[in-house]
Amino acid sequence: MTVKWLMHFQPNQGTTLTSQVMAEACAVAESFPGVSRDGRWRSSMTFYRAVPRDQSLPAPSDLPRDLIGISLHDLPNEYLFVMRSQRLILRAHSSVQTVMDKLQSYKGRFFINFEGLQYKWGDFKLRIGKCLYNPNEALRGIVMEVEYLPLSSIDKSQRVMEEFYEIWREAVASKLLAGQFINTEVNFVEYGLGDSYTPQHTAVLYGMCVVQVIASSNKNQ
Amino acid sequence: MECVVQGIIETLHVEALEILLVGLCGAPKQRVRVHELCLKSGPNLVSSEVRLLCDLAKTTPSWTIRHVGGAMRGAGADQLSVLVRPIAESKASSTALRFFYGIGYKLDHEVLKTGFAFQFQNRGANLTVSVTSTNRMPRLHATDDAVPITPGIHLVEITAPAAPENYTEVASAIASFCEYLSPLLHLSKPGISTGIVPTAAEAAASLMSSGGGIKIL
Repeated sequence: MTVKWLMHFQPNQGTTLTSQVMAEACAVAESFPGVSRDGRWRSSMTFYRAVPRDQSLPAPSDLPRDLIGISLHDLPNEYLFVMRSQRLILRAHSSVQTVMDKLQSYKGRFFINFEGLQYKWGDFKLRIGKCLYNPNEALRGIVMEVEYLPLSSIDKSQRVMEEFYEIWREAVASKLLAGQFINTEVNFVEYGLGDSYTPQHTAVLYGMCVVQVIASSNKNQ
Repeated sequence: MECVVQGIIETLHVEALEILLVGLCGAPKQRVRVHELCLKSGPNLVSSEVRLLCDLAKTTPSWTIRHVGGAMRGAGADQLSVLVRPIAESKASSTALRFFYGIGYKLDHEVLKTGFAFQFQNRGANLTVSVTSTNRMPRLHATDDAVPITPGIHLVEITAPAAPENYTEVASAIASFCEYLSPLLHLSKPGISTGIVPTAAEAAASLMSSGGGIKIL
């Protein structure tokens, strides 16, 4: 699997995130020479809650409160779980959701969809998307996934990704968007992940990014 | 959903059973070495049970998460000679055990199943016949030091995936295959023991001396 970076849009202080930002970000991507639109993309995330044996009581504190499940757009037959507090990732076939339903020990508490437009630009694929609460589709953030197709090594791709990030930041600033895109920084080693990029890396990126998106959204409301 | 029957056979007759199965199945024998961990939810969580299966027969161990539901009940189910039950399974990464510990599950017991299996089709159903010894481990996860729980006895299990619209046909396919094994062992619903078959020794001797000679299905 080739390397990805994941960024989220941080609105300027005092401004509110609107769908217009999504349109403006897409316009930035479409201004790049040689870029072509490459369809749509959609990933989804479920925040799980433990179901206590005695449901008249709140969930015990020794059970994780940060269990999330992720279905990635480019791996429809797989499902990943991330527990940030324990630096733990489980990668499984998508049928694991059926197993969790049968166990009934954890239920989906709320759901977020990431969906938007995909672009091809030379060796890069750009996916710009809205971060939407499900089912009311309230906008909580804008994210951009950047994939560098030639490389699977995180170390080897670092420089080219940084160069892209600078190009993107400058383009965004020049179009006067009311904020900036912030890259999601993760210490993959803490999760037991190596230099060779995997879906587990993507799951961790989304797990970290969504925390920042929600925090940013709550701050600006 | 799956259909399942089980039976036992004396270990000294396993070789004869293998000869019979080679002839009947027309499929290659597969080595079985599965570390099965049964986990139960902790006291704070809704009560549930899940099994993790680590296949140690391959070079790289692979993990499966498995949930076994309660047996189908009712007049239709009672009339079947096989047990029908819902099954949910998923292949998973090697972090599966840590994951379930992390979400509040505890290890209830673990066993190591060793033996062999055949996978083949009979009457359109995909059957798996496994012949295994169930072993306990003297220390946590010590699969290399496992010893048989019932020395001298092997478990024979036939399973086949099924769906609500075809489980009676699958059950029939299993039942018909069981007929071929009847000189050596009787298979029935799990939990209903039929013991050792009286003709087993004679049938085994016959198989060992003839080297098989059974018409392939």
